[in-house]
Amino acid sequence: MSKILSIAKKELASYFKSPVAYIILILTIVVFNVFFFMIIEQEREASLKDVFQVMEFMFIFLVPILTMRIFAEEKSTGTIELLMTSPLTNTEIVLGKYLGALAFFSTIIGFTFVYYGIVEYFGHPDRMTIFAGYAGIWLEGAFFLAVGMMTSSWTRNQIVAAITSYVILFLIYFSISFMKYFSGPAEAAIRQLSTWTHLENFSSGLITAGDVVYYLSGILVCVALTRLSIENRLWR
Amino acid sequence: MIVTKHVTKYFGNFPAVKDVSFEIHPGEIVGFLGKNGAGKTTLMRILTAYLPASSGTVLIDGEDMAGHSLSIRKKIGYLPETPPLYTNMTVKDYLKFAAEIKDVPVKQRRNRLDKVIEECQLADVQGKTIGTLSKGYKQRVGIAQAIIHEPKILILDEPTIGLDPIQILQVRSLIKNLRNERTVLLSTHILSEIEQIAQRVLIIRSGQIIVDGSLEELLKAPGTARSGGSTLEEVFVSCHQKQTEGYGE
Repeated sequence: MSKILSIAKKELASYFKSPVAYIILILTIVVFNVFFFMIIEQEREASLKDVFQVMEFMFIFLVPILTMRIFAEEKSTGTIELLMTSPLTNTEIVLGKYLGALAFFSTIIGFTFVYYGIVEYFGHPDRMTIFAGYAGIWLEGAFFLAVGMMTSSWTRNQIVAAITSYVILFLIYFSISFMKYFSGPAEAAIRQLSTWTHLENFSSGLITAGDVVYYLSGILVCVALTRLSIENRLWR
Repeated sequence: MIVTKHVTKYFGNFPAVKDVSFEIHPGEIVGFLGKNGAGKTTLMRILTAYLPASSGTVLIDGEDMAGHSLSIRKKIGYLPETPPLYTNMTVKDYLKFAAEIKDVPVKQRRNRLDKVIEECQLADVQGKTIGTLSKGYKQRVGIAQAIIHEPKILILDEPTIGLDPIQILQVRSLIKNLRNERTVLLSTHILSEIEQIAQRVLIIRSGQIIVDGSLEELLKAPGTARSGGSTLEEVFVSCHQKQTEGYGE
């Protein structure tokens, strides 16, 4: 456990040691702020529902940039040899890296708590709805991170890792647009596959077991596949 | 200490290491020679649990690699060909991280850290970012990382490559100083280096061990079937020539 934390700490520190992290952080917050202002100004409603939807959409573009280096960089610089010849299990390596990325992502989410402060100050928002929305967006981000980490474990090239995770995230997110071409069980399956469906529940204040299971199982599958690809050195 | 039995490693259809068997005893310093692409690095990666062998057995300190990879890794210090350094970390942070993931007990971490910084003469640069260091310093940070958990076995892949003559001398003397405590396996293609440090030589060619003997034997036995000369260079060249003729490469 302590070794998982050591790796997570190192991962988090390495984000902040490169300018990319600051650029992403500042850019994301700026874009979120603009959208927050636009949404609040237009709807005049003390709710963050649409803000969460916008955040979800932004994370599709943001997360692969955060995750592309997780394993690809270690492989291209050879530092993976340090990790894999140290007394670390593959699970410890994968979990440590995942927690590190999650911590950085949580920092971004943390900055948006200001929005809650603003709507609380000027209106009477439903606190539970906002809480549910934050839980949803955090789970969604955690799922995207797991997807990104998985694609990063498949290659030693960061660009390839990023593009592969864009493809997967786009397919998952936009699959709902293809729903109209299907009917019956296929339609239901596609509806359930899309993250859009699940986040909608959260952002309207609805925490259902099905949605939580969707995200958690998605995370679990990606983490397990990452471990498998690391174990079998699939990038060779 | 290190025993390999019929170790073979395939990459696809290409056999990088073919049926390699040897034994290294505790306290030996073994030089591992071979041309580029002969399979040195692959074999070292197998010994350090980085790559699994396709077939064959590797025993380290009496434990089988197949089932005890984790406890074996605690006993091995490994410096890969390119030192595995996180270029955005400072030397001290990096070594601290290495100590953490290599199971150095919390109470001993500070001592070990100070010790390797002294042994590898890194005191001047310990606060600097690794990416800004010269090749020689980077190599020494790599060695520091390999010995921080006081492993019984040290495996060094071309530890002096790319260093200037002074640095080579420093690294060599560092390795020599380690010899009392550890078993060392180092690969290089600088033959004079092996003559200076090693007691025993393994020569690998196209994935197979073709010479395995003590340095003294090899150098003092001119005219034997294998070795034609009295310097290691002549031995090395002659066995490569013989093999080339024999197999008509």
